[in-house]
Parts: sequence; C-alpha cells; structure tokens
Amino acid sequence: MGDAKIRVDAVMDEIERDVRARLRRHLIKKGGAADYQDEELFDAVHAVLARAVDGRNLDAMLLPEMADGDVDWRLQTHLSLTTHRPGAVGRFILFAKQKILLPLTRWLFEYSQENFRRQDHLNRILFACIEELAIENSRLRKELQRR
Amino acid sequence: MKLACVVHRFGADIAGGSEGHCRLIAEHLAAQHDVTILTTCAKDHITWRNHYPAGESREGTVRVLRFPVVRERDMRRFMDFSDLIAADRASGEEQEQWFRENGPDAPALLEHLRAHGAGYDRVLFWSYRYFDTWFGLPLVADRAVLVPTAEEDPLIHVDALAPFFARPRAFLFLTPEERALIGDRAPADKPFAIIGSGLDPASASEPVSLDELGLSSPFILYLGRIDPNKGCQTLIRHFLRYAESGRNVQLVMAGPASMPIPNHPLIRPLGFVTDAVRESLLRHARALVMPSPFESLSMVLLEAWNHGLPALVNARCNVLRGQAERANGGLYYGNSVEFSAGLDYLLDHPDAARQLGRQGLEYVDREYRWPIVVGKIEALLRAVR
Repeated sequence: MGDAKIRVDAVMDEIERDVRARLRRHLIKKGGAADYQDEELFDAVHAVLARAVDGRNLDAMLLPEMADGDVDWRLQTHLSLTTHRPGAVGRFILFAKQKILLPLTRWLFEYSQENFRRQDHLNRILFACIEELAIENSRLRKELQRR
Repeated sequence: MKLACVVHRFGADIAGGSEGHCRLIAEHLAAQHDVTILTTCAKDHITWRNHYPAGESREGTVRVLRFPVVRERDMRRFMDFSDLIAADRASGEEQEQWFRENGPDAPALLEHLRAHGAGYDRVLFWSYRYFDTWFGLPLVADRAVLVPTAEEDPLIHVDALAPFFARPRAFLFLTPEERALIGDRAPADKPFAIIGSGLDPASASEPVSLDELGLSSPFILYLGRIDPNKGCQTLIRHFLRYAESGRNVQLVMAGPASMPIPNHPLIRPLGFVTDAVRESLLRHARALVMPSPFESLSMVLLEAWNHGLPALVNARCNVLRGQAERANGGLYYGNSVEFSAGLDYLLDHPDAARQLGRQGLEYVDREYRWPIVVGKIEALLRAVR
C-alpha cells in the first residue's frame, strides 16, 4: 500500500457495496422478498429506505404535522400529575400522587418510559419511510407527466 | 486584553468535554492576556453539589473566581422537562425552565457579570445549554463570544434559541457541522471562527507495556465515559455480534463506567486510566471506536489521530463522520453489519489502516496545533473590538 493517499469515501463505497450484497444474500436465504433476486432493484429499495432512516430530520416531517389533529397520537413519555378537583382537596390529592403514589410506582414508570422512547423513535422512522416513498412516488409521477 | 471565560465547572481533575476545552483555551490565551475563569463550586456534573471553596484562587496561569451553587439539580424534574423538549411539546416558559433545571444555579455568578462584566474586554461563554451561559450571556451581550458546543440533540431545535443566538457578538465553533447546525439561527453578519481544539504532538516515550496492563494485541479501543448516552450500549451490542464471527480481537474500554458492562472474555473494561496508560493504549490499539451519537467535536478522535491511530466512528453523528471524511482518517458505520465490515477492513488491511492513521495525524498537524488554533481565536477577538 505504501504511502499512497487513501480516500475514505472510496473505501466506504466499497464497504457499503459489500454490506448491501451480504444483506441481500442473507435476506434471500431467509426467504425475503423474491424481488431481491434483482440486485439493482434491491439497491434501489435500500437507497430509498436508507434515505428515510439516515438522511431525514425526524423532527421535521409532513405526515406527523398532518396527523396532529384532534387526537394526540404522539407517545406521552412526560409524566404530568394533575387533578380535576379544585382547592385544598385538589392540592391534597396532587400531594398524595406526587409524594406517595409516584415513589411507589416510579420503577414501573421508568421501565416503561425507555420502551416508550424506543417505540416513539420507531414510529418516527416509519413516518420517514412513508414520507420518503410518497416523495419518490410524486417525483416519478411528475416525471411521467412531463414526458 | 482582559478576558473572562465563563464555564459551568472548572478544574484540572474535571474530565468533561466543554470544561476541558475551556481550560485548555484559557491556559493558552493566558500567555498573551489577563484571563479570569468565572465558574461555580460544582464538581459533580449530575448534582452540581458544591465541592470547591467559593472565592478567588490562582490555577496555573489563570485567575479563578468560583461562585456557589444554591440549588442542586433535581434529576427527575430535569428529566420531565427534557422529555417535553424531546417531544417538541415544551412551551416558551417550559423551555426557559429547562435551562433553570439544568443548572448549575449560581446567582452570584450572574451578579458578578452584572456588576463587573463591563470590566472585561471580552467574555467567552462555553456551552449554551447551561444556566450560567443562558442567563449570563445576555448580561454582557455587547462583549460576549459564545462557544456553543452544540450537538444534534432535541434541544437545538427549541424556539427559544433563535433570539439567544442573536445575542453574542461572535461565535467560536468547534466544527463546520456545528456551525451548520446553528445555521441561520445566528444572524449572518456575526463574526465567527471554526477552531476545534489544540493538541501538542504526542510524546515519544514508552510509558506502560501491554503486559503490565494484562492486554494482548490485537485490540480496539474505546476511550471516555462508558455511558449509554455516549453510544456505549450500542457499541457493546455491535461488538458482541462481531465477536460471534469468531474473530479474536478485544474491545478495551478505558474510562469511568455509568452502566453495566457484560462479562465477556473479549471485552476489557479498565475503568479510569492514568495519562501514561492512555498513551500506551493509543499507541498499541489497532483502531479507536467512537460510538457517540451526539458530539460537537471529538477530542478523543483528534487524540487518536495525534498518535496515528485510525478510527471507526458512528456515521449517525454528523460531526464524527465529517471529521473522519475531512481527515481521511477513519471509517464509519450506521448499523451492526457496517460496524463489522468496517472493523474487518481495518484489521484485514493493516497497511491501509496505518495509512488512514497517518492521514489523521497530517490533518491534526494541519488544523489543530496550538499556534494555529490560538491564531484563529486571537483574530476573532480582535475582529469584534
């Protein structure tokens, strides 16, 4: 190899090509989609999904904005203790929730919270995939109309 | 010039990214300027409990003024506000409250800035996310230079940041990615410099042998806090899957651990290590692994390149990937299969791996030697006069 300059992007292209080939063989072997026999098609599918998983800002997507109607669909990982009762009774209930109930159930809340966070992340990736497919579809439609 | 450096913790025994960065920069600026560190009495970055005595002291070439923390951090309350920020549900008031909860809450430091801030020619602030910077910078905005140390985490997207980033006179960024992240939130006419951090050439001595450490080659190295937030859980998962392939390479993890590390013959946790051990590890490892998802600059990566060591970094962190690409000094991975393929490449192509390490070292020589870094800071401090 000597002192010849190595370009990281060239090495990474090679590695990523190799990883895609390994992944395709693995999926075919495990009974994945028959379409993956076509290497070119597999690479195209990989590229679309990779754009969604790696390339998208998961905090800026169209679908979650559109789904943000009357029903709050987002996972609530923040714990907010409230009561509908007014005055001293309300204050007492809130105090009891915070100082007695919460310490007793905290472990359960914290255990579930981590899983909720994971699910929330997965939801956002799925939104990104759907959006990426919609973009791809719209692009193709536009191109077809132009022809 | 009379300079103040505001940072949430300060001390030679504090191993934190922005704190260490502040200390190094301040010490180098002190060769030309009168430098005062304005900081808190805290040492613990979780509780902010007072540890150092309040008041004035001299640490090496810099004067240090420490102010007491009046309220320790309530982690549960802080996490509740962090969840709101992460879910993009925090109101303006709740965003502001996040900075209060994050701390360290040291009102006397703010009082000092209010009363004596005009006595400094420039006030440099480290890390926008802490109480001292968030509430202190507006008090001396006309002379403030912000070192944001911004990372690609949910906090960077909160609305309250736009008016805040309009306040300082200038910015010192650590990488081009950090600058892009802050992007148009900072008015375009603000002077800035991208400085990274300075390094001295690695020492040539041979401090500790691998035998003394009970290690054998080949091994890959993780250096730093062993923490899920630093990507260590994912690293261990990827490595265990890699180890299943039967490859005989060790993962040496050197740093204090705040998570359980599996008992596996190929994983060697060393805990906190001395500088001499660190030096040996960097010299003998086959590669450095950097799994962190959030970084504003990886000092450890620069340190590895300073020793001619190639790296394998988390591609999902734009800063790490950008550093690896600019230096041509390391590979990156986005998932477990890519981690294995990248590691295989570095182990199976030792000449190429060495060359990547050499290229990393050339990059450090080109960009990160102290005279270059200090020169950029000096130019910026002069430009904002």
